[in-house]
Amino acid sequence: MLACRQLGKSYATERGVVAAVAGVDLEVPAGQFAAIIGRSGSGKSTLMAMIGGLSRPSTGTVKIDGTDLWQLSENALAAFRNEKIGYVFQFASLLPTLRLIDNVTLPAMLGRRRPEADILTRAGRLLERMGLGAYLDAYPAEISAGEQRRVAIARALINDPELLLADEPTSDLDEQTEIEIMDELLTINREVGTTLVLVTHNLALAGRAQQIFHIANGAIVT
Amino acid sequence: MRLLTGLALQNLGRRKARSFLLVAAVAIGSGIVFTGATLMRSIDDSMAVGFSRLGADMMVVPDGTLTNITAALLTVEPTDLVLDADTLDKARLASLGRVAPQKIVRVEHSGIGNHHESADLIGFDPARDFTIQPWLRERLNRELKPGDVILGAGRDAPLGSQLLIFGKPHVVYGKLGRTGVGTHERGVFMSFATLEALAGAMSHHGGPGPAALARGKVTGFLVELAPGATALQARFAILSAVKGVKVVTGDSALSGIRQGLAALLDGMLALVVLMFASTAVMVSVLFSAIITERRTELGLLKAIGARRSQMVGMMIVEAMIATGVGGVLGVALGVLVMHLYERSLVYYLENIGVPFIWLDLPRTVAFAAAAIVLAAAIGALGALYPAWRASRRDAYDLVRGEG
Ligand SMILES: Nc1ncnc2c1ncn2[C@@H]1O[C@H](COP(=O)(O)OP(=O)(O)OP(=O)(O)O)[C@@H](O)[C@H]1O
Ligand SMILES: [Mg+2]
Repeated sequence: MLACRQLGKSYATERGVVAAVAGVDLEVPAGQFAAIIGRSGSGKSTLMAMIGGLSRPSTGTVKIDGTDLWQLSENALAAFRNEKIGYVFQFASLLPTLRLIDNVTLPAMLGRRRPEADILTRAGRLLERMGLGAYLDAYPAEISAGEQRRVAIARALINDPELLLADEPTSDLDEQTEIEIMDELLTINREVGTTLVLVTHNLALAGRAQQIFHIANGAIVT
Repeated sequence: MRLLTGLALQNLGRRKARSFLLVAAVAIGSGIVFTGATLMRSIDDSMAVGFSRLGADMMVVPDGTLTNITAALLTVEPTDLVLDADTLDKARLASLGRVAPQKIVRVEHSGIGNHHESADLIGFDPARDFTIQPWLRERLNRELKPGDVILGAGRDAPLGSQLLIFGKPHVVYGKLGRTGVGTHERGVFMSFATLEALAGAMSHHGGPGPAALARGKVTGFLVELAPGATALQARFAILSAVKGVKVVTGDSALSGIRQGLAALLDGMLALVVLMFASTAVMVSVLFSAIITERRTELGLLKAIGARRSQMVGMMIVEAMIATGVGGVLGVALGVLVMHLYERSLVYYLENIGVPFIWLDLPRTVAFAAAAIVLAAAIGALGALYPAWRASRRDAYDLVRGEG
């Protein structure tokens, strides 16, 4: 389902070229739950961004369902991100000027493949499932950080992606909230069969994954 | 498109303070441009009339004519000497602007006024005249035609009434305002054809009739300087090109004022253009700041699958709505200001002898539409480049707020 070959990204900085990720090979079969662990600054977010089509690699390839992501045209890549990938960022990532319901429906509206009424119904159901049924008309600033993260997950799921990428979705949340959100993600993985790649600091959680990639200094260590 | 407009409206609506500032800035800019342009055109049109009321810059008469110079050259003096009507046209002098030929005869026993009073009959070419018609205070609601006469302010007869001149009936077509110049105050003005038609009636009273009444002859010319030309240049050019004439220069201060006002209007135009340019620059700067600040949002949009055209489109629609609304408000503001100051403006201008004429409605509406369209265009252009640049970057870099 997901296959990376010799994936690398380096940044030109004032101190010279920094290799954030270098020569990563990994494979995740469809429907699997894979965890990525590693210390802060080891390159986990950079790797996820390249897998998610958000950051162009310096070297190597990313293939999702056989499609070479970075060979696609701008518009084709945008459509691919929109349809196939759900991405949950490490930090708050809602559009502050949109109501929660509009934040969740936006990816579906951009794709324009389904009737608006269906999209709204599904977004409402997703938010309800995340325990935010009463806040459809609220703005992001009016809810807590944990609630915002749940909305971001709902948004990532609106287009029924085949691949769900979550970059430390609970890093800044309390333990109880973390467990709840993680349960949600694992349930989706199990019930819908969505392939899940999760970056986490929580080793207990990583232990439940079918595959663990340990990253250090931008490379996979075993 | 509906989605993009919706997003743009959401952004504007949720960021009220910033949207308000942007709209206000554009409103002030486009208001000044609209008001400036409208007033300028109005004043320009009014001045075209006002200038003429100041009379001609110089007059050209036959050598040997006695001249009595008044501050404003409005009519030539009555004399027996004449010039060919095409004298100046044939010379084609670049230093001359408009040239108005006139015929004047001073007559007695004409039937005008009381019996012994002498009267000046002044013939002009309505198409070329620029010193008589600007003084028309009232007139019949039709074009001037043969048989019509216009009376100086010193004569009294109702509009449309009949006036016998040497027994021939004429219609009082219009009356002039007070000019303070004798020939004007007591003059009876008419077209060349009307005046020439009196030749027979006059010669009946003895002799062949005044020379000025002959077709193709005139008493003299009232002359306006070409823009930038000096009286000295024009005088020299006329004297070296035409024999047997005398050039009488009017009050040079008035020529100076006339040319100075024209320069002032040009200056105002430059100011309006500058204002427009500075609004454009300000809006572009504002938008490049707004877009820099919103990189994270643009990155999120890109991350969830917005195409580049959608990202740029959203920013442009947002900019156009804000600046378009600004343009509409600016025009409304301009109309309000002009309305409020209309009284004092009109009063002031009429004090300096310029009757104020507002720009006609179709042109005012065209100016308003142009101001609004330009404001929206400024918004679109101001947002286009920064939005296009931001949309090129990787979504991840945008989300992290880099670049
Ligand atoms: N735009 C950039 N310019 C220069 N260096 C960068 C840039 N982005 C990331 N890096 C560097 O790449 C390395 C990896 O960063 P990354 O964000 O991927 O780490 P991470 O594993 O996600 O860390 P954390 O657990 O704190 O989120 C870091 O050393 C960082 O300094
Ligand atoms: Mg990270």
